[in-house]
Amino acid sequence: MEQTVAVATPTSVAVPPQRKMRRTLLGTVPVQSPLYQLHPVTRLFTLLFLGVISLFILIPEINIALIILILIYLRWAKVDISGLKIYLPLTVTVAIFMFSVSIAFPTIKPEYHPFVFLGITFYYESLFFTFASYWRLMAMLFGTIQYFSTNRERDTLVGIRTLKAPFVVTYFFSLALRSAGMFLEDMRTIREAERARGLDESSMALRDRAKLYAMYMIPLFTLAIRRTDEISNALFARGYTISGRLEDGVKRSDYILTLYKIRTVDKVLITLMVTSFVLVGILQIVYGTFSMEHSPLFKLLLSLFN
Amino acid sequence: MATEAKYENVWELEEGEIRKPGIAHIVALALFTGIGIVVGTFGSLAVPIGFVSAFWPGQAIQAVGSIWYGMWGGIAAFLFPLISNAMSGSAPLPVSMAYIPGNFVQGIAAGWIFRQLKLHPALKYGRDWLWFTVVGILAANAFGAFWGTWVLRLFGLITPDSHLVAWAGWFMGNSVASWVLGVLLLKFLSPLVVKTKAFCKGYWA
Repeated sequence: MEQTVAVATPTSVAVPPQRKMRRTLLGTVPVQSPLYQLHPVTRLFTLLFLGVISLFILIPEINIALIILILIYLRWAKVDISGLKIYLPLTVTVAIFMFSVSIAFPTIKPEYHPFVFLGITFYYESLFFTFASYWRLMAMLFGTIQYFSTNRERDTLVGIRTLKAPFVVTYFFSLALRSAGMFLEDMRTIREAERARGLDESSMALRDRAKLYAMYMIPLFTLAIRRTDEISNALFARGYTISGRLEDGVKRSDYILTLYKIRTVDKVLITLMVTSFVLVGILQIVYGTFSMEHSPLFKLLLSLFN
Repeated sequence: MATEAKYENVWELEEGEIRKPGIAHIVALALFTGIGIVVGTFGSLAVPIGFVSAFWPGQAIQAVGSIWYGMWGGIAAFLFPLISNAMSGSAPLPVSMAYIPGNFVQGIAAGWIFRQLKLHPALKYGRDWLWFTVVGILAANAFGAFWGTWVLRLFGLITPDSHLVAWAGWFMGNSVASWVLGVLLLKFLSPLVVKTKAFCKGYWA
């Protein structure tokens, strides 16, 4: 005999699938990001490559191209670029600061080309050098920010461990990055506790708010100092030593590294980054290939004076 | 002798006391670096004029760190700006790396003077206040600003003629914020810290 069972019919409301996100040091990235196909050590190399290579480049066109490349890379990695808005005031104020300093206190050499605008004397070479330095700074900053926007503490840790850094170094880095997060979590807890007791920060004067922030430091440091004791006791109880070896001298196994494999694409990318870095460094140091005088924009504007 | 006896000396080893660097110091170094990252990032973002911040309380963390944790605090003093500068966008990696000697001296100066003169970390006596202000804050920041502005010149971020103005801005911006935060931390937390095993009576333990 057949039995009928009442089954609830599904509603017709479509629920969009939730995107799983991974929290990085400076934002969030979808778990499905193609970026995570790369080994963490490859991503660590992008920090060293993109964050430092502009040091050898004073041609603004190349540095602007590098920034565009970084933005494309972030877009490809499905990083929410709107999160970079927090750096907008900085990019503007740095420009204002650099150009104000350059205009108020210009470098003057006899061979420089002066021109007068709005009653102020400008020196073309000095001004262009500031322009080139600004874009070099921005390229290095974006090169650094891209890493922190796309990687977690764990990724950094795996990257450093893959490079065979000693245990004490990797442990230090992981705990330092983690403790920055813990410090912020503690701060949030303290602020919520204050609000629960009726503190209304919005009604406070700016001076009182500044004082309040200074006073947060006392409980926050107390918690951190207590945590130092707790963590070091826990490590001692688990038999950890500074060398990272067990008591009988045997090396401690590293589970986390077994989860990541270096593939051909990682090897190719790392080789490309290292080779280009060395090449650019040599070309600039020996031949000055990337100095400001080789900039097409510099030459074009200079031709107007001649 | 009589002068020395009237001041409490927290730096002297007790009879039979052995202090060695251990895992507690690594943990203290890491936690202090983490705190420095947050405070340094906040300082750089609070008044964002880039590499010359008009308000950087991070120096207080550097000075206090070296007073409590000796050389470990000195190491944290140059490590945390590498990360906090990158996160706040105030200086890229190569510039931050060039800051290392300046940051180290800026941090260790306070730890050095407190150990040399056996000053009390909780600022109990007038001389503690005096030396903390003169060496831990003013001299340390004067040197830090001197080094930092030379780095800026080296990277072409300021012109030679603006060097003095940049130095003055850097020195003032760091000193005021650091003095206020440093005094608060030393006054209220030193009595707690000197009782922990991570506190360094010497430079390493």
